[in-house]
Amino acid sequence: MSIVKMEKVVKNYHVGKVEVPALRGISISIEEGDFASIAGPSGSGKTTLLNLFGCLDKPTEGTIYIANQDVSKLSSGQLANVRNRNLSFIFQTFNLIPVLTAFENVEFPLILLKKSRTKERSDMVMKILAEVGIAELANRKPNEMSGGQQQRVAIARALVKNPKVVLADEPTANLDSKTGEDILKLMLEMNQKTKTTFIFSTHDPMVMNYARRLIKLHDGRIESDERM
Amino acid sequence: MLFKLAFRNIFRHFTRTFLTFLAIALGLAMLILIDSMLTGIDQESFDRVINYETGHIKIFDRGYREDEENLPLDKSIKDPKPIISKVKVDPEVAGITSRINFRIVLSDGIDQYPAVGVAVNPADDQAVFRLKQAVIKGEFLSGTEETMVLGEDLAKDFGVSVGDYLTILTRTKYDTYQAIDLRIKGLLKTEDPKIDWAAVVIPLEVGQESLEMEESVTEIDIKLKDPSKVKDFRDKLNKELPGLEIATWKDLAADVVAIAQAKRMGTGFVLFSVFIIALIGISNTILLAAFERTREIGMMAAMGMRRGQIVHLFVLEGAMIGLLGSITGCLLGILINIPFVKYGINWGFVMRDVGDIGYRVTGVSRGVWNISMIVTAFVAGIVISALTSIYPARVASRMEPTEALKRV
Repeated sequence: MSIVKMEKVVKNYHVGKVEVPALRGISISIEEGDFASIAGPSGSGKTTLLNLFGCLDKPTEGTIYIANQDVSKLSSGQLANVRNRNLSFIFQTFNLIPVLTAFENVEFPLILLKKSRTKERSDMVMKILAEVGIAELANRKPNEMSGGQQQRVAIARALVKNPKVVLADEPTANLDSKTGEDILKLMLEMNQKTKTTFIFSTHDPMVMNYARRLIKLHDGRIESDERM
Repeated sequence: MLFKLAFRNIFRHFTRTFLTFLAIALGLAMLILIDSMLTGIDQESFDRVINYETGHIKIFDRGYREDEENLPLDKSIKDPKPIISKVKVDPEVAGITSRINFRIVLSDGIDQYPAVGVAVNPADDQAVFRLKQAVIKGEFLSGTEETMVLGEDLAKDFGVSVGDYLTILTRTKYDTYQAIDLRIKGLLKTEDPKIDWAAVVIPLEVGQESLEMEESVTEIDIKLKDPSKVKDFRDKLNKELPGLEIATWKDLAADVVAIAQAKRMGTGFVLFSVFIIALIGISNTILLAAFERTREIGMMAAMGMRRGQIVHLFVLEGAMIGLLGSITGCLLGILINIPFVKYGINWGFVMRDVGDIGYRVTGVSRGVWNISMIVTAFVAGIVISALTSIYPARVASRMEPTEALKRV
């Protein structure tokens, strides 16, 4: 079943008076539980595609569906709601909130959702921190953790609200290869355990090896789309 | 969580936050102190006007006030006794007396100094005024003896003291010249420049005789049991005593009241200055924080944080800096105000040179505890800081997540 779907999506950017095409008519469907990698050289449109999947940007043309809802023409407030309910992000530079502890960083999206009570929230946070293997670091702040540990917190933060899709923009780019591989293994493990869809961008062959589906972009078009 | 996040965020750059809230704190402390000082001077001035110059209410002959600058003797109350008897029995009245105010030139035979003569009834003047209690050397007037009391400062100017003689040069009711030699019986220290620097007090009967006033006086002075009822009592006397002019101390001390009103503008200006300090300081601090944390804002937006919540977060940070500034400013203001209220400031070194500026202060003036101003300063510090954070907060919230996430 399709969880994210794009139909003839075009995205152009304006650089001064010049219109620069980033995506040129992309149509693609990401299935529930996919562990998909978007690969391609710099400027091929990976980040643009990921931003559109993540409702961080709007297409110039075409339609995008998230969990069967057309999000192409929603207002920024409505897009924030869609992101809040369905999507999570893992960033290349971790982007944890430096003044909050690991526990509080993971708790943050649950507070934005305003769903769970304090006790329930605390249990959910500790459970996911344990699953990503850093329960003992719950009270540490980001500057007291290594890059790999911070990315684990970021993964826990992404998964704690049980999103339909986790989007990761080059999640291992700021990590050494050993730690990067550990992070990918963890993401794959969480994908298999929770059936959460993962879409991540990369140009690292090692990362591509872990993907169960590899979508290659070139000049804003899909060059290939293979299941591994 | 937003509170916790905002609270921790303001300490990310402690020096910047410290300088911002210190500016607000100093502004608020200054506001509290200036208000304390000016309100203290106001209260002391009002008290001195009432205790030494006007009482609560004065009764004049009709037309007197039109020419009161010249202290006219021809517009006098010819027969004050029936009026005094009638008013005295009113249950609202605490005390009543009568006086003659007249223009004089005081002389020691060499130097001359323009002043105001005040002929008082030594028997009942203290029922309304406190001149007797203000005698610091010698004694107050008694009966009809030909003596005077005058301000210590005025005596110093002439180089005279108790027991010495000075001459009062004046004009009688019929505009003929008159000179009265009087022995100084006592020196006054009221802290009211109108008395200490420029008044000579003599017995009423001596005044009436010298000025050819017979039984008449220029004013009847009343002290009320409840000072808050002056306006009602004035209106009542206006009805009961047609043909006479009735004025409250506020009507008569228009100069002091005008200064008190100007003071309110002064404190308003200080509050406005605090607003400007907060506007520049907080706006700058929050705007810098917003630009420094663009990636973080982008990440929060990506996680589904709404623009309103981002604005809320930054406004909270501004309000918290304001809260710190308010707490520090109010504590600082209160601490500095303690000795100010207890010991006051001695303005004596400057007031004589400045001259009579309307305030009835010649020496020490004490501050007061104006709780409403402290509360106003506290609330204003927070509200102004929160309000001035709105603009930079909106700038932060308008960043597109994709653009924000691109920034390093």
